[in-house]
Amino acid sequence: MDPRGGNPLRKDNPCAGRANSDGQLYTIEGIAAGLIMIMTAYLVVNATSVYTAGDTHISDMQLEQLGSDVLKIMDTPENVTVNSELQMILGGATVDGARFKSRFLALSNNRTQLNRDHIQFDASYTCRKQDNSTVTIPLSSSRNLTGGEHAVRVTKWVIVDKAFCDLPATKPRAVLVEVLMWRD
Amino acid sequence: MGFLISFSFFFLAIIINQSTVVGQTTAESVIEFPKNDIRDITGVITYNTTLSNDPVVNTDISVISLNRKNAIVKYSVTLPLSNETHSQAFIHYNNGVTEYNETWTSL
Repeated sequence: MDPRGGNPLRKDNPCAGRANSDGQLYTIEGIAAGLIMIMTAYLVVNATSVYTAGDTHISDMQLEQLGSDVLKIMDTPENVTVNSELQMILGGATVDGARFKSRFLALSNNRTQLNRDHIQFDASYTCRKQDNSTVTIPLSSSRNLTGGEHAVRVTKWVIVDKAFCDLPATKPRAVLVEVLMWRD
Repeated sequence: MGFLISFSFFFLAIIINQSTVVGQTTAESVIEFPKNDIRDITGVITYNTTLSNDPVVNTDISVISLNRKNAIVKYSVTLPLSNETHSQAFIHYNNGVTEYNETWTSL
């Protein structure tokens, strides 16, 4: 700011007739006040919406695809004349939860390195009763669900040549295998 | 002038800061689209049409889909007649957001 400033219109001002920067402070104050008001309005409007970081769900997506692939592998028979592993697990005299557990953990925790991944699961299957309600029966799990897990759900339809629920003589039946999986 | 430039940089920093947060992530949309559900349904129906043509199996799939996956699944299978070799399946899937219809013919 010009230290010799003053009212340029006054005849006794040595700087009369020259522009000075007296008004700049007021201009800056006005701009600052405007920006503060815009910022306040932005914060108020923004407060009602919840945003997440753009890369939040990528690991969930990958985990779901991995689980789907594992179940697909387990439901693919070696050839057309034999049953798939899932059909054997569910279709035996008793449902073989231990076999499901070892196979699912082995397939899902496979890595190129020596140490295994840390994927845990909780599996169940659902069958239909005569009155068209459904029953979900635990299959096996590698950890107990505490409610704090960030789990994804993958499912697989299996047609098994065995009677399920309260329809004792009816087969084949379709059951839905559901697996919750998470990393611990 | 320095004041204005400082505020401009401040605003640019806010814009960069906000660019990383979103209302719905891309991966979330991928998860919500029932790709694996649809592939699973069409897979189980078309793998063995003699099995999936069974009325009990058909009801199983419809009822369990509705109860456990919140999806309406209706399908019908036409097995080949004596002088034909192809089976056909008409599959309908709707989970309220995604609707999928398929007419499948075996090789």
